[in-house]
Amino acid sequence: MGLTCAVVVMRYYLQTGSIALQESVNYLHASVFMLAIAYTLQRGGHVRVDIFYRNLSPVGQAWIDTLGGLLFLLPLCVVMFWLNWDYVINSWTVKETSSESSGLAWVYLLKTLMLIMPVTLLLQGIAETIKNILIIANRAADNGSTDTQS
Amino acid sequence: MEYLPLLMFVAICLVLLLGYPVAFSLAGTSLAFALIGLATGHFDAAFLHALPNRIYGTMGNNSLVAVPLFVLMGVMLEKSRIAEDLLHSMSRVFGSVRGGLGLSVVVVGMLLAASTGIVGATVVTMGLMSLPSMLKQGYSPALATGTICATGTLGQIIPPSIALVLLGDILSSAYSQAQLNMGIFTPKTVSIGDLFLGAIIPGLVLVLLYCAYLVFYTRWKPTAAPMADGDGQPIAIGEVVYSLLPPMVLILAVLGSILAGIATPTEAAGVGALGATVLALLRNELTLARLREVVLSTTEVTAMVFMILIGAAVFSLVFRGFGGEEMVESLFAQLPGGVFGATLVVMLIIFLLGFILDFIEITFVVVPIVGPVLLTLGVDPIWLGVMIALNLQTSFLTPPFGFALFYLRGVAPPGVLTSDIYRGVAPFVALQLLLMGVLALWPQLATWLPYTLMR
Repeated sequence: MGLTCAVVVMRYYLQTGSIALQESVNYLHASVFMLAIAYTLQRGGHVRVDIFYRNLSPVGQAWIDTLGGLLFLLPLCVVMFWLNWDYVINSWTVKETSSESSGLAWVYLLKTLMLIMPVTLLLQGIAETIKNILIIANRAADNGSTDTQS
Repeated sequence: MEYLPLLMFVAICLVLLLGYPVAFSLAGTSLAFALIGLATGHFDAAFLHALPNRIYGTMGNNSLVAVPLFVLMGVMLEKSRIAEDLLHSMSRVFGSVRGGLGLSVVVVGMLLAASTGIVGATVVTMGLMSLPSMLKQGYSPALATGTICATGTLGQIIPPSIALVLLGDILSSAYSQAQLNMGIFTPKTVSIGDLFLGAIIPGLVLVLLYCAYLVFYTRWKPTAAPMADGDGQPIAIGEVVYSLLPPMVLILAVLGSILAGIATPTEAAGVGALGATVLALLRNELTLARLREVVLSTTEVTAMVFMILIGAAVFSLVFRGFGGEEMVESLFAQLPGGVFGATLVVMLIIFLLGFILDFIEITFVVVPIVGPVLLTLGVDPIWLGVMIALNLQTSFLTPPFGFALFYLRGVAPPGVLTSDIYRGVAPFVALQLLLMGVLALWPQLATWLPYTLMR
């Protein structure tokens, strides 16, 4: 997905001039980053201020990620979805088109990305949070078993 | 309650230090404050309803399309080993000069600086590429690490850098807002291209300062930088041309087309990205697997940058909803020293924030707050942009918290002491401060070129 999009963005830019082409570049650009936000979360690509974080144990890191997920990420996705809903629905009801006369006619589709992004991010956020809880739980279980052996 | 926005800002800084991804911490903490505000009746939910429009504005912003393209160009140059080749042949060109390897690191850093804007990435790349060979040649660890850190942060200031793209975008909206505040309804504009032009002279001066320092230091203390051993095999001209010319042409094409007014920065970035790909193809370095790797990492960086933009949008809406802007304005009004005092304070704050935040966060969070106020006071937007970029660069270099130092520490062998890095980087910090002082005294250094060319 990312591959085709980025390459096309690049190629298209060599032939400037047409508004529709210009807008298609924008569409591609927006699609790439809106769809890739969840993917980047999965790959751990969102930057952190890791002055302290990097020195923590894996369990400590899992704690921070769990709390961050529950307190920040998941509510953010819900709020974004809720805020964007009316905005996108309005766009759909009028089948909104570009404000330029020769522009593309699919603004409502483009805006739909604003709902897809929070949903994918929410799903990935839930997955990450569960993963982190498991890390914490596993470590606790490990400690428990070593305790009984000794 | 009056200081709620300030409290929110402090809370966000603290939350960020925990290490949860910046974009989500920013947005999440702001939402929490908005919730408190809603419950206590200090916050109007209408502000949050502006969010969809902000997000859509980001999606449709044509200047920001330059970001993925420049990232792609940088990653391509790095992964296809064009950069490494360049370093090798440069160091052989400078082989007969004392400190030659150091000089070539600076020059290569300058050429590459353009491409990757994320401080960490550049420092890590430069560190992995050049630190081992510098140490092997007997450079003192302090000199080697200092040079690499300083060079790695050049990416902030040498155009076409992503830092300047983002900064230019934010400043241009801050500038039009400032002029509206002043009652000017036919506002002048400032573009990313203007900022690029403004940064060229200060950037080159900085590189010259680095080089001059290296030359003098290695003369004065020859043991810190031994000559390359071996009989210094002379390098064929063809080889130099082969490795040096293509990246040079690429960067000149990108910058030149902006300078000449042929292309917008976004279009130039497209040319750069395509050019880098062609270069990699010509060298047979572009396998399908590598292309995939390049594009995926470009996608990741892009998504990361834009998620921070969205997070920062949530923050700025909530900040505004709490009356943060009025608060900042009245704070500035109370400052002694007028424009100079205000600028100095802003620079100091940005410098300190540079210890905990990367330039993307500072550009998106701090500049929209202070930018309009300073610009209303009559500060030149181009000068301000260049100063902010320089300032952040200095901040990233300053011990004990500078970002660049941490990243280099991460890739340096254990034999290199952290204190070596601190000692090595100190002179470069001094050079940075010197340049900032000069720029503060003679703003023309930044403003002359863009105003001469553009008007």
